[in-house]
Amino acid sequence: MNYARMKFYCDEERCIECNGCTVACAEAHELPVGISRRKVVTLNEGIFGKEFSTSVACMHCTDAPCEQVCPVDCFYIREDGIVLHDKEKCIGCGYCLYACPFGAPQFPRDGAFGTKGVMDKCTMCAGGPEETNSAKERELYGQNRIAEGKVPICAAMCSTKALIVGDEQEVSKIYRKRVASRGKGVQGAPYGWDKAYK
Amino acid sequence: MRKFMFLFIAAILLATVAYATDSQIWGNMRLTNILEYGKENSLHLGPLFVKLQSQYFYKIFFGILIGVPFVFFLHYLIVGPKVFSHGGVKIYAFSAFKRIIHLFAVIAFVIIVPTGLMIVFGKYLGGGTIIEYARHLHGLATILFTISVIPMFLFWFKDMLPTSDDIKWMFILGGYLSKEIKEIPAGKFNAGQKMWFWVATLGGIVMIITGAFMYLQDFDYGIAKLFGISQIDLLRATAITHNVLAFVVMALFFTHIYMSLFAIKGAVHSIITGYKEEEEVKYLHSTWYKKLKKEKKI
Ligand code: HEM
Ligand code: SF4
Ligand code: SF4
Repeated sequence: MNYARMKFYCDEERCIECNGCTVACAEAHELPVGISRRKVVTLNEGIFGKEFSTSVACMHCTDAPCEQVCPVDCFYIREDGIVLHDKEKCIGCGYCLYACPFGAPQFPRDGAFGTKGVMDKCTMCAGGPEETNSAKERELYGQNRIAEGKVPICAAMCSTKALIVGDEQEVSKIYRKRVASRGKGVQGAPYGWDKAYK
Repeated sequence: MRKFMFLFIAAILLATVAYATDSQIWGNMRLTNILEYGKENSLHLGPLFVKLQSQYFYKIFFGILIGVPFVFFLHYLIVGPKVFSHGGVKIYAFSAFKRIIHLFAVIAFVIIVPTGLMIVFGKYLGGGTIIEYARHLHGLATILFTISVIPMFLFWFKDMLPTSDDIKWMFILGGYLSKEIKEIPAGKFNAGQKMWFWVATLGGIVMIITGAFMYLQDFDYGIAKLFGISQIDLLRATAITHNVLAFVVMALFFTHIYMSLFAIKGAVHSIITGYKEEEEVKYLHSTWYKKLKKEKKI
């Protein structure tokens, strides 16, 4: 079977910095306070014509750098490209954060001695290595919407449909259509794609 | 002792401040972090760290772990240990205070090095709880090391300054390549011991600081700003430094163990009882021996 390659894309022209995705994600996965798997940032702030907002989380990179540096090898990459990790193997060393181009891995302060605990990041709503839709999976990784055939919650609720996620060919098609309809001529790849997808 | 308690409390206070500050790597600061990775005119530390950590570090650690003991094993077989009479006069070398402080450092290192290696080779040990606790133990033993490293640095500092003997010692590698027992140019400490001293104390302090950075992760003491880099790049530089310096610390730590336990028979007793064998001092620390003779201390 030919698997689709799943990608995130956030349209900078459409993102209105409402932070809805951040909130939806935190609520859907019942994340502890202080953890936001998805975050909206404004880049080039104050520079006329260059300022834009975009929503960033784990991009589920090709040859994921986080996977390469993990000393306990707790990452696994699904055939559809989603990068997941095993929280029961993770030791919370922080190396994946140093490797990540998007600052995606985060560390709740719940480990022994109140230090950083095991890593948490966006799963593209695809859960983790536990039994699909089990209580344990839900507790450790949040909802597994992909298994239920649903779109990840952030993209599902995005009011301007700036944030979209899906098979790379579909996403690229939408991206090209949007660029063409704006009539601003050729544009490079979407923000972050050069680092995430090779 | 009051001073150390003070230092300890200060360290805890600093840690609390770090916890209280707004997140540097997940808050607004992340913006700069995102821009830094592999960008033109950034430090390229992200890709560099990925390359080093994924392809080089564990191989080098493995090389040292196997290679250094192997070389010493061959040395033991071919050259063999130096044996000195244990019947002669004993020379007092280390006070009880120094021995106790050194003992703290011993305990700390015996925990720090294997737990560090457990993290490095975590994937072969299955990861999970055991390695996570190795990580915590690594951090806890650091507290013990911190307590011992400062007095150790201060009370041995003067004896460890380089002298002309050290150059001569280096040329003959301390005479360890031959079986012959002859007078070796060295004061109370030889060039090899001095090298270990500087690596263990100054290097050790760098290890404590880099370790603390990785432990705290989110802190704002203005250090990143000082270097004009983002917090995440500071952490990357920190992780690289901690690993590279660990090669040196580990290699010399193994050497230190081999010398004291095997290469010079019974040398370890001096740091337990405080006394060195006269014969050993006469040959291996000839300059110190002559000085003691002149001062009529023996
Ligand atoms: C003077 C010696 C050393 C000191 C004081 C020291 C201290 C520390 C500290 C405080 C941490 C942070 C612990 C945490 O995050 O919970 C750390 C991390 C680490 N150390 Fe060391 N260390 C030393 C030597 C070594 C050696 C010899 C190795 C390797 C053989 C090593 C490997 C590591 C690794 C891989 C980490 C990263 C994992 C982590 O952040 O927990 N260290 N070190
Ligand atoms: S965005 Fe970061 S955490 Fe996600 S796959 Fe890429 S390197 Fe890993
Ligand atoms: S924090 Fe966990 S997932 Fe990240 S590199 Fe360390 S062990 Fe691997």
